[in-house]
Amino acid sequence: MKPLTEEALITYLAQRMPDWRDIRIEGLHRLPLGASRETFRFDLSYSDANGRHEDRLILRRDPPASNVDSDRRHEYESYRAIHGHGVPVPRMILLEEDPEHFGGAISLAEDLRGYHNSEYQLQEAAWRDRLPRIAQQFWTSMGTLAAVPVDALDLSFMKPATPEGTAMQELDFWEATLDKNDVGAEPITRAAIRWMRRNPPPPAQKLAMVHGDFRAGNFLYDDEGHLIAVLDWEMAHQGDPLEDLAWSLARVFSFGKDERRSGIALREEAIAIWQAASGLEVDPAALHWWELLNCIKGQGIWNSCAHVWSEGTNRDVIHAYAAWWLRNAQDRAILELMGKL
Amino acid sequence: MRPFVPVAAAALAERLRSEILPELTGFRAGNVAMTAAMFDMIGEEWDRAAARLFEENAAIRALLLRGGVRPPQDQDDDLRISALDANNDALRQALITLHAALEQRDDAGARALEDAIWDELRRSVERRTISSANF
Repeated sequence: MKPLTEEALITYLAQRMPDWRDIRIEGLHRLPLGASRETFRFDLSYSDANGRHEDRLILRRDPPASNVDSDRRHEYESYRAIHGHGVPVPRMILLEEDPEHFGGAISLAEDLRGYHNSEYQLQEAAWRDRLPRIAQQFWTSMGTLAAVPVDALDLSFMKPATPEGTAMQELDFWEATLDKNDVGAEPITRAAIRWMRRNPPPPAQKLAMVHGDFRAGNFLYDDEGHLIAVLDWEMAHQGDPLEDLAWSLARVFSFGKDERRSGIALREEAIAIWQAASGLEVDPAALHWWELLNCIKGQGIWNSCAHVWSEGTNRDVIHAYAAWWLRNAQDRAILELMGKL
Repeated sequence: MRPFVPVAAAALAERLRSEILPELTGFRAGNVAMTAAMFDMIGEEWDRAAARLFEENAAIRALLLRGGVRPPQDQDDDLRISALDANNDALRQALITLHAALEQRDDAGARALEDAIWDELRRSVERRTISSANF
């Protein structure tokens, strides 16, 4: 991947923003965030007709091959769509889709600096007393997203969906992802897919904007345990809001290695908070189907990690690590959900 | 190999964590932490991989024969992990086909064999368990 340099950024911004003068960039460095996109942080300063400006910015860059089938425009437009609708997100600033400039499309966003995002820090004893607040704000934000009417959002860039069709649409997509990123026969995952096709869920109670990766590690929080912003919207789509709830309950994201889901709260507590915020009732059978769907989705992503690494198209350590660490745990989660463990 | 690979892998992981990781921040620190965790997984898998694949391949062959399916190979002649793994992949693919066929049947024999397949799949997951996994 082409190195991202301060000089290249200055050259680009000078062309893109002809009114800017004396552009300076300092402290450009890559952050250890996520597997699907590269994330960098830097300080920008420049002058224009209104004087001198200083900004703290986040740059996200699409790699040549990723474990998630998405692109810069999709995440950029997702952030813009939900901004101002009750779910806190950083403000988007610029999108550059031409890969010629930086070796991949980029987006710039405001950097909400000084907060935490670590899911592992939440497992430390010192954070235990703040987990109830984090749980309340985490699942309330998710429920708030579920409650936003999709008609109020500009989601024209997203694949269309219907309450009746979203379940099989998602299953078809993730089964195709598994097929495309085949890294060996998977009898447990394939048995789960067959069961899901024989036992489809009821139509979604409503269509919602689904974040697609709403879990610990993908939101910023402060020292007191207040949720500051929800990040990583590259898998956002229209669908059944139960999908986000189910993803947050996944065993593979139980970072405390205990019954607390997302390493934050018990399953029943999470569901109660989400129901109160969304105004929706959780149908246990439907939630169970979506939990299984998310196992298929998870396995699709972990297999994509193994595939891009094995093919040599992206050798970031996280791809090999995630595949080794998660694939068997995901199978085990399927067995539990199917009553076979 | 001496030192024994699992011991060496665990020691290397510990040195990465104690000597290198504190010197780094951000993306590089994350990479070293994950590399150390991968050394731990290598150590864990090294000692058991051949045994678990050999055991699992025999178990799947028995299930296939019980279901009237001839296994892709009669036995594991080559005990290198790459060979065992290739056989395992072919056997698991055949097991998927048998499992799907059994689901279409409605008789006690099919249900009993299906239960036996699920028992073996549960054992396969336990054999592969990574001690650092969340679940």
